[in-house]
Amino acid sequence: MDILSRIPQLLVYGVISGSILSLGGIGVSLIYSIIGFSNFAYGDMMALGAYIALGLFSLFVSWSIPNTPLGPLSFGFGFILAAIFAIGLTAVAVVLIDRILFNRLRSHSSVILMMSSIGVALALRNILQFFWGPQPHYYIERIQIATVIPGLGIRIKPDQVFIILVTIVLVVLVHAFLKYTKMGKAMRATADNNALARVTGINTDRVIVWTWVIGGALAATAGILAGIENKFITPELGWQMLLSIFAAVVLGGIGNPYGAIVGGMVIGITEEVSTAFIPTGYKPAVAFIIMILMLIVKPTGLLGKRR
Amino acid sequence: MSLLTVNAVTSGYGDMEILHGVSIEVGAGKIVTVIGPNGAGKSTLMKTIFGLLTPTAGQITFAEKEITGLSPDLVVRRGMAYVPQVENIFPSLTVNENLEMGAFILTDDFSGQMEEIYQLFPILNDRRKQRVGKMSGGERQMVAMGRALMLDPKLLMLDEPSAALAPNLAATIFERIVAINASGVAILIVEQNAKESLKVSDRGYVLASGRNRFEDTGENLLANQDVGQLYLGG
Amino acid sequence: MDTLIGIINYVVFFAITAGTYGILALGLNIQWGYTGLFNIGIAGFYALGAYAAALVSGPPPSAWDGRIFGGFELPFLAGLLAAAVVCGIVAFLIGIPTLRLRSDYLAIATIGIAETIRLVLKNESWLTNGVWGLQQIPSPFYDPIHGGVKAFLGNHPDLQGWIHGLFSKAYNWFYLFLVLAILFVLYLIVERLVNSPWGRVLKAIREDEDAVAMSGKNTFSFKLQALVLGAMIMGIGGGVYAYYARFISPASFKPLYGTFLVWVMLILGGSGNNRGAILGSFVVWGIWAGTDFLTEYFPFSATQAASLRIIIIGVLLEAILLWRPQGLLQRERKPSKTP
Repeated sequence: MDILSRIPQLLVYGVISGSILSLGGIGVSLIYSIIGFSNFAYGDMMALGAYIALGLFSLFVSWSIPNTPLGPLSFGFGFILAAIFAIGLTAVAVVLIDRILFNRLRSHSSVILMMSSIGVALALRNILQFFWGPQPHYYIERIQIATVIPGLGIRIKPDQVFIILVTIVLVVLVHAFLKYTKMGKAMRATADNNALARVTGINTDRVIVWTWVIGGALAATAGILAGIENKFITPELGWQMLLSIFAAVVLGGIGNPYGAIVGGMVIGITEEVSTAFIPTGYKPAVAFIIMILMLIVKPTGLLGKRR
Repeated sequence: MSLLTVNAVTSGYGDMEILHGVSIEVGAGKIVTVIGPNGAGKSTLMKTIFGLLTPTAGQITFAEKEITGLSPDLVVRRGMAYVPQVENIFPSLTVNENLEMGAFILTDDFSGQMEEIYQLFPILNDRRKQRVGKMSGGERQMVAMGRALMLDPKLLMLDEPSAALAPNLAATIFERIVAINASGVAILIVEQNAKESLKVSDRGYVLASGRNRFEDTGENLLANQDVGQLYLGG
Repeated sequence: MDTLIGIINYVVFFAITAGTYGILALGLNIQWGYTGLFNIGIAGFYALGAYAAALVSGPPPSAWDGRIFGGFELPFLAGLLAAAVVCGIVAFLIGIPTLRLRSDYLAIATIGIAETIRLVLKNESWLTNGVWGLQQIPSPFYDPIHGGVKAFLGNHPDLQGWIHGLFSKAYNWFYLFLVLAILFVLYLIVERLVNSPWGRVLKAIREDEDAVAMSGKNTFSFKLQALVLGAMIMGIGGGVYAYYARFISPASFKPLYGTFLVWVMLILGGSGNNRGAILGSFVVWGIWAGTDFLTEYFPFSATQAASLRIIIIGVLLEAILLWRPQGLLQRERKPSKTP
């Protein structure tokens, strides 16, 4: 009975971590379907975004840019400004990595790109570790009191509501971009059939740059939100989530950004609920096992198209 | 006047030469069919003209300018459009979006052109918002042709447009091809089973083993007994 | 003289580690170099092999151990066999759902299994003793060799100091010989396999899997065999490490760094070339160990130095991929057939 009574609360935690996994999953999925490889550096791109936000935030604090908490949130204008700049800078950094590296390796098989992304992953993580050290860094060291939702007995913090809202807004924005803009449609067309896209006259190189911009921005957002949720960041932040993100992407159907949202939520919720039954340390293994089961039952995933 | 001239072109994949000096000509506003058995090099010819393969010898001239070795995105801008035999649509995009992608390089309004295409293929008009991946083979072929026509090309190249279609559907497609041609677009078709195609063609070429074998008007080729026996299935 | 002895002892230690990595690189070469399978869970198989060997050869649980299982005190070869078998079974289980799919799935699944193995080693104390790890893993012939040399030196106090210094680490010489012998035997086995008709199918799969499938070969089965065989060799590498280290714990296995080093070794040496794999192991381990000395001269903290080394190896990998993707030793060329 004690276990069962915890489940509603764990569901809420699952939706929060599922939100972050979904954002990362959309990015991984877009890169996979348009550029054609599994980007193992994605987790570390998330960490990069989180650390750029940290750096900018401390800079803004030193410039006395106000950070009075906005309403019930634990942070204010200064932090949000830092986060927005960090998202932009991460996108720029990710495009640069593509121009220096991935773009030149694109003529090789996708496996070479995967391998290269592992090198990027380790280099990025260790660059962060070099400058900031392996110890945790706190965005804001203020403890926030959770609000109890009357009747349900569920506790949730205002920051967590913020995470969910940001995710919803970004999912809607990405959807609108893919659905209604010319570049968004060209991205979907390139994902569908790269050769035909080129024959048609679509500038696939520009499509790739846009994919990295969106992928990088989503990575940074997911990293910063993870920092808000955990209260601290470490260079391992993204890597620790990467397996769950890949599990989410495979579960939803690799290469399908909408599947990544579904997959992210399922993985996030299952991981949290599993902690009622098995040790917390096994969270990544839970994601992994769900992924393997999906591959056995239906490798194309819940919403996957045939590939 | 000749719109496209392919002069003694040699081409292939990597070390493997498939075309050993092929020459064809497409006059402005004409329909030309290239036929030949499987492996004759018909698709290779198309890809070489469109810049997907680079010829190792020979010249290709289009609208009085040499385009030999030009990349596809530049060839498209010169006024040539190409419909591959397979995977010639974007399956997860709607009909409307497929046509829009055909006009990707345009910056000005293309709604007029789009309406003309919907008039040409009325069956697509009712399905503008439908995903092409869920449509039938004939409808996909129409979407693919419509997409290629979005830039109002001088020359439309079709790789086996009736392959894998039921006979009545194939007839519809050829009827549409004649209609497109009537609006002034020259058309180059390659076909394996090509009676339908030769019927509507001004000129026809027979390729075999990567070389020109016969060349005549469409009618004459259809009447030619050798061609009939060897390449049109008796 | 002492410096020289120090250097000799270091070189022996260095070569033992590089040779162990060479075993891992040989295993990866079967998977990636010859078959094109992308396994990034090498560290997982390495750790699994080490634990399997330790549980088979180590002592039974002591009173203060958390574990209640294992410790059969079986000989060295039995331990290596167990390491190979356990890794082979895990590779088999991972291969079945993933090897029919695009290589991305195998990559993700191998990272997943490496992470899962790490979590099991840490959390399942009844088997692995948790974070405390397994101790007193018996190095083969340690007592006769180490004890013998020690007794001899003890009986001859009149010998010069440098002889004492040199021979105090005599066991390492023996172990180096053992590692190189295992490496050599595995090299011969792998060479023979990849040059057999079986190996030619693997290479054909690497070049063009669809063509092999169309010729009627069950490519899935061949890929599965290559994955399992490579993982078994990696397991043996883990075992070789365990018997030398005598103590292993989850902290002994940095999940991604070990995997990453082996990859760089194989790619630098030349994938698809077994001598290249071994050469790459010694070169990259040399660079790795060399940067350890190098970073002492920079004003960095220990953790910064550690990060810098990994950044250097990362840059090395990208440089190889960009400018010399074939590695130091190219794969043996066959006259190319037109497609």
